[in-house]
Amino acid sequence: MNKDYIAFFISIFLILFSFNSYSAKMDDISQDDFDDIEFTSENKFQIKDPLEKYNRKIFSFNESVDKCCIEYVARAYRKGMPKFARTSIRNFLNNLYSPISVFNSVLQGKTDNSLSNFSSFLINTTVGIGGIFDVAGKKGINYNQEDFGQTLGHYGFNYGFYIVLPILGPSSGRDFSGFLVDKSVNPIELNFLDIGGEENFINSNYRIGIAMMSGIDKRESFIDIIDDIRQDSFDPYATLRSAYIQRRDSEIKK
Amino acid sequence: MKKIIATLTLILIATTSFAQNIDQSEQVKAFINDVGTQIIKIAADKKLSSEQRKSNIISVIDQSIDADWIARFVLAKNYNTASDSQKENFAKLYREFMINTYGPKFQNYNGRKFEVLSVSKQGNFYIAKSEFLPQDSKTPVDVSFRVKEKNGKLVILDFVAEGVSLIETQRSEFNSAISQKGMDQFLEDLKARIAKLKTQK
Repeated sequence: MNKDYIAFFISIFLILFSFNSYSAKMDDISQDDFDDIEFTSENKFQIKDPLEKYNRKIFSFNESVDKCCIEYVARAYRKGMPKFARTSIRNFLNNLYSPISVFNSVLQGKTDNSLSNFSSFLINTTVGIGGIFDVAGKKGINYNQEDFGQTLGHYGFNYGFYIVLPILGPSSGRDFSGFLVDKSVNPIELNFLDIGGEENFINSNYRIGIAMMSGIDKRESFIDIIDDIRQDSFDPYATLRSAYIQRRDSEIKK
Repeated sequence: MKKIIATLTLILIATTSFAQNIDQSEQVKAFINDVGTQIIKIAADKKLSSEQRKSNIISVIDQSIDADWIARFVLAKNYNTASDSQKENFAKLYREFMINTYGPKFQNYNGRKFEVLSVSKQGNFYIAKSEFLPQDSKTPVDVSFRVKEKNGKLVILDFVAEGVSLIETQRSEFNSAISQKGMDQFLEDLKARIAKLKTQK
């Protein structure tokens, strides 16, 4: 099983290399004159989406699942849970993820980020009682989430191609590879790649519980944005695709 | 002697253009500060009815953006294949779409603070990096504006929130919709959407 995952991972990397072409970058837009050439350049900013047909089907499936179940849970969570409790849960989840952010900040050579994420983890885990209170944030030590997709982006990998994952939503070749690595390296997450053996640090029920809580928290944070896209967009799939690629690009440049 | 005069002239030109750039950056900063503050002020004005707030914000947006330029940008490659009447129709509809979509949205932006942090020049544009602090949040939202001078007047061409450009996203969305439905059907959909937006409060 372990070998299968590694082979899958390597194949993803190979795909990434083969897609090593131009990607949409905001800086390039702003450097252009915009006056004539900009409007006639076909496909310059077109997002690479070779799986569009499949992606649109998964997108529709995700929309149906979301509208029938996940959205209700997220709205009930927003309505039923007081804001301070939701903030505490978010702090707790962020704190659980911070070792991964430290790991990726170090890999990217971001000294300030590494130190602030490490300090944030230490302070919030101890003084902040397991991360429930963001004591570090109040002292001006800000937590900056960093994942392996961003690390790959930092070293020049572009997003490769756009992909919509069942339930999880928008991703890309690069970010999905990063996602698998992050989950496997994090001792409290699902070890997809069996990194460090098949043993897991904590009981699988807890891991599933944390993954579900994290999903509800994420969906709750996206309620307004998704409402806007559903209401305003002429093609929600294309809007989400463009917003996702741009957002990741901006996170990598930070 | 000639060399000295030439050098001095070059220095003078360089200094003047540098000074002009600084001057223009300050103007951009003041312009964006003014637009942002006006919107927040209108959104927070409880004396105004919801309808008045919406129409006042629409008027601020309408005066600050270059809708024709943006319309051409978002059409991208479809601009070349569209007929003159389609182009004209789209530009007209797009302006209405923009002001009627963002007018009602911005009337909820009764933030606590809006501040332009820095202005930089990129090609022919100015990028004004700003921060907006919503009423119910402690975390400021990063927003940037792309500004250009047009006929001696500063105009906004793009609004970038948390790294996502409004016009780039619209370009992707509109072109995808046009490629699926065709230009004429898209224009009909746009018209129907504007009619719907106008009836919403």
